[in-house]
Amino acid sequence: MNCSGKRSSTHKKGDKKMNRVINVGYGEHTPERTPFLNATASAKLRTEIDEQLDQQVVEWYANVSEAAHLEGKNVDSEYYKRNLIETAWRIRMLRVAEAKALVEIAKVSPEAAQVWANYEQEEMLHDELFIADLEKVGVSREQFLATEPYLSTKLLSGYFSYLLDHEGPLGVVAYSYLVEYVNVKLEPRKLEALKGSVGESNIGGQINHSHTDVNEDHPGEVWEAVRHLLRSEDDIAAFKRYLREHQTILGQYFEELHRDTIAKAEKQSA
Amino acid sequence: MTQYTLTILPTGTKVVLPAKSRLTEIEFEILQKPIPFGCRSGSCGVCVIEVLEGSDSLGQPDDNELDFLEDLGRPGGDHRLACQCRLYGNAKVRPAADT
Ligand code: FES
Repeated sequence: MNCSGKRSSTHKKGDKKMNRVINVGYGEHTPERTPFLNATASAKLRTEIDEQLDQQVVEWYANVSEAAHLEGKNVDSEYYKRNLIETAWRIRMLRVAEAKALVEIAKVSPEAAQVWANYEQEEMLHDELFIADLEKVGVSREQFLATEPYLSTKLLSGYFSYLLDHEGPLGVVAYSYLVEYVNVKLEPRKLEALKGSVGESNIGGQINHSHTDVNEDHPGEVWEAVRHLLRSEDDIAAFKRYLREHQTILGQYFEELHRDTIAKAEKQSA
Repeated sequence: MTQYTLTILPTGTKVVLPAKSRLTEIEFEILQKPIPFGCRSGSCGVCVIEVLEGSDSLGQPDDNELDFLEDLGRPGGDHRLACQCRLYGNAKVRPAADT
């Protein structure tokens, strides 16, 4: 404090005098480009995170109603169609939030932003793949557009907004790591089952969607963004929490889907 | 965890990275910048390297990379865009600007 009662107004990062420009890619504490995790530490953490996700998958199958429904021989038609509808709406809503995340990511890490932009470029229009599969099973584009998304789908979108406004973009990127990791692990099994239950010619869009995730190594791509956004042990702890919270919200979605289709039909026929 | 060594001439700088790491990682591992990077997306050409040993260790170039290397006057074979390579084994390289 100086004699006028004002704190020093010199802009400093560490002991370097800086101008007033902020939010250009490197944080207050990391004005240089060196990430918090080096390549080896990043690979080790990814292994640990993947173990957490494997455990989450076990819990998913144990706790979510009809979690393996789409992997079974008999698929409920209403459940299948509504899941495609919600998936397309989810992609449409989340791409808006994920584009906003790009701005926030660019403010703290241009390396992560470049990776994220490329990932978004590959995923941005995948709603059309699901809409095409809907048309194959008799749900028109008009019916899709007229369907109000589930509350759980809206709440997931709302959680993204909360994260961007109040915690930062890491939680948004965490969602993509969760779904990409799980998709690459479980989607091939589900698609094999759907070939038998729904017919291979009816699920072309979902197969193409899965090709992108696997061939473009989307889990690896998203991890590259994650790695540059992790700046402290607190961030790592938050990242693990985000993965659990996203799974909880997705679990709520599958419960809502089950209630509105399979359980409702069972009730009506009882 | 499997790790491999990338040796960069003319200084002989060695960087050890986990298998499948992008070569752009070297920027974050050491203070020197033995390979220059610009766009990191295979479109500016600043990162051309000559591969002296272990060309199989850097993965296969795709058609876009091969076309661009030809445009740059460094057709196929010994040259790569470092930003498009990942490390699948030990390798020795030299920035094309130094050749
Ligand atoms: S950095 Fe631009 S082509 Fe590699």
